[in-house]
Amino acid sequence: MDILSGLLQGFAVALAPLNLWWCFVGVFLGTVVGVLPGLGPAATIAMLLPLTFQMNPTTALIMLCGIYYGAKYGGSTTAILLNVPGESASVVTCLDGYQMARKGRGGAALGIAAIASFIAGTFGVVALMLVAPPLAKFALSFSSPEYFALMCLGLAMVVLLAGQSMVKALLAMLVGLWIASMGTDLFTARSRFTFGYSEMLDGIDFVVVAIGIFALGEVLGNMETREGEKMLPVPKGLRNLLPTLAELKACRFAFLNGSVIGFLIGVLPGAGSTIASFISYGIEKAVSKHPEKFGTGVPEGVAAPEGANNSETGGALVPLLTLGIPGSGTTAILLAALILWGLKPGPLMIHDNPDLFWGLVASMYVGNVMLLVLNLPLIPLFAQILKLPVYVLYPVIFGISIVGVYSVSGSLFDTWMLAVFGLLGYLMTKLDYPSAPLILGFVLGDSMERALRQSLMMSQGELSILVSRPISAIMLSLAALILLLPLFRKANAWRVKAIVENG
Amino acid sequence: MKKYISFVLLAAAAALAAAPAAAQFKPTKPIEIIVHTGPGGGADVLARFISSLVDKEKLAPVRMQVTNKPGGGGLTAMNFVVEKKGDAHAIAIFTGNWMTNPLTQAEAKVTVKDMTPVVRLVLEPAVIAVKSDAPFKTMKDFVDAAIKNPGQMKQSGGSITSRDNVVRQLIMKNTGANWVFISFPGGGERIAALLGGHVNMMVIEPQEAGEHIRAGNMRVLAQVAEKRLAGFPNVPTLKEAGFDVPNVPQVRGVLAPPGMPADAVAYYEDLFAKITQTASWKKYLEDNQFEDGFLKSAELAKFMDEFTERMRGILKEAGAKVVR
Repeated sequence: MDILSGLLQGFAVALAPLNLWWCFVGVFLGTVVGVLPGLGPAATIAMLLPLTFQMNPTTALIMLCGIYYGAKYGGSTTAILLNVPGESASVVTCLDGYQMARKGRGGAALGIAAIASFIAGTFGVVALMLVAPPLAKFALSFSSPEYFALMCLGLAMVVLLAGQSMVKALLAMLVGLWIASMGTDLFTARSRFTFGYSEMLDGIDFVVVAIGIFALGEVLGNMETREGEKMLPVPKGLRNLLPTLAELKACRFAFLNGSVIGFLIGVLPGAGSTIASFISYGIEKAVSKHPEKFGTGVPEGVAAPEGANNSETGGALVPLLTLGIPGSGTTAILLAALILWGLKPGPLMIHDNPDLFWGLVASMYVGNVMLLVLNLPLIPLFAQILKLPVYVLYPVIFGISIVGVYSVSGSLFDTWMLAVFGLLGYLMTKLDYPSAPLILGFVLGDSMERALRQSLMMSQGELSILVSRPISAIMLSLAALILLLPLFRKANAWRVKAIVENG
Repeated sequence: MKKYISFVLLAAAAALAAAPAAAQFKPTKPIEIIVHTGPGGGADVLARFISSLVDKEKLAPVRMQVTNKPGGGGLTAMNFVVEKKGDAHAIAIFTGNWMTNPLTQAEAKVTVKDMTPVVRLVLEPAVIAVKSDAPFKTMKDFVDAAIKNPGQMKQSGGSITSRDNVVRQLIMKNTGANWVFISFPGGGERIAALLGGHVNMMVIEPQEAGEHIRAGNMRVLAQVAEKRLAGFPNVPTLKEAGFDVPNVPQVRGVLAPPGMPADAVAYYEDLFAKITQTASWKKYLEDNQFEDGFLKSAELAKFMDEFTERMRGILKEAGAKVVR
């Protein structure tokens, strides 16, 4: 009852014309920022912050959050069409989304991404509304050992991301872990693998690695095979640009999986949307009837990660609004914004400012609908990009990649690093190494190392801390199970073969 | 003839009056404020606040523009400032990290000694907090517990070079206690570790702690400040609680590129003196529970030397590899 009256009150706030307008401005800007690689929601919100000083805090929060979740919608566009991940969270979308586009299903992939985003985004808001306070308490019981176990679980996904050769996948993952260790070590303030460059002290930005390996690697590889003037197939007619019923049906479980996983991981202050999308993709593949088709352009492979990175937004707002604890770069800036507007973010904020909380929740329902309406008609338009001949398309991808990377921190050094990773991506394609395990290792490596060292500092060097805590023990066993799965399958295959031969 | 003489006198008088004016620096194009964080970082928020304040109160004839030079743990911005040698239209917001980080980073090619000190602006105090159901009522309770169980007590904090760890090192040295310092990269994670009961204590910004205290989740044992903060009238400072340790505030201020002429430095000293006199600035300090740390160029230079020297000693004791 409380929730219902709160929500009604919230809709009264969110549907006020002024709030509706700023909500639209927010989600529109978010979409634009999401489509442009490099420039992320965190930087956009920070730059627009001064404009909001004159606004009512509720209105301002509605707009800034619109940018936050709107960017998650837009991020899939370049990932699917150009293999350029627009945001770090959409890197997993590249795996199947770009393959769908190559098969002429680019429009369908965009449609599925938009629908998955809508479903999961709405799920995230519902969950935020219903279970925020108890879940926030649960999130606090998560500490370093649990994070380490979660990262192990994520890393175990490598067996699901591997292509033909497990050895090559593991090697790629190790390289990813190595790249993640570059920069300044938090615990000792010593630098590692900086090769004397001060630019390397903060490590290498995710966008540089992802765009280099995915986008540039792909373009370089394709240029060599000389596809010539051959264009990617773009079927005519609106119907062919939208997902078919069969495709949507295939995604049923993915929508749910992405929604739930994304939200749960979003609630944890130390995880993040990239990890959420990797894990939901892994789960989707693990339970699939045709796991071998993942990576060749299956719609579930787009729906699961896109869903996860959208419901993650709702999850990430849980610790921010209920405890005043920011879990990611973007929520940290939202926290700073709340303080600047004179609010007191913390455990009592919802209680003190019910209008703000319920207005925001209601506006997120409205915003998600706006995003769907805004994004679906854009699909045919964006899909036209693929009609460009390669001698135009490839330079465009190059240009977008370089500008995207430069816009992250305005550093020329990063563009040189982009070239390095582009060459690495090219070599990996050429030698048939899968790129996803490298990205996986890179994303998880830093937090995993940190969580392990924190755990061991807590336990004074006792490794048992990792298995004596129930949540961590369960996740570690799951990880071990996933890692051993291929061996069981192999053993079973041998057994069956032996029976057949003997019988 | 008389008329002529008076004209000459007049001209001479005018010239005399004009002489200091000619040497007086006045900005003629937008002033660049360089910060070492991306948009939204602490230094960036301060720079943007200053820029809008100068605009609103018309304290300068030109606008101020924020330039973000993130990366390299602050070194990218420091290099950028040094490259601007002789540019009187560029200033930078510095923090304690600008002095501390080069001490452990062999990659650093420049230090704050290469730059021109302008003013020190704010000191950010901190409080020492525990979870509200913790058995410690005073800082002494905590330290006693740490002495009794060496290595059992835990503190969450940032990097080993952060103020959180400096406070710990100083108290440990002063009392012979020993507890563990666990680094977390994000402020949110540090608080989550405390509220989840995974660590026993943390050094936290007063403004941040305020709401957790009001909600009954946290208790403050002592404050790291010169004088008791307005928000915590009943909590002793570390000195008052009987710990003879120097105060270690987080510091923010303004530096300029190498070789800035004295008249330009004087101009900026004056500009920031005016800024710190405004009501908006005072409200900003109050809202964030910052202390006014205004110092002019010469005193700032002395402060930076002392600060660097003290940090060098503390880092060595903490086991960090000091390279300069």
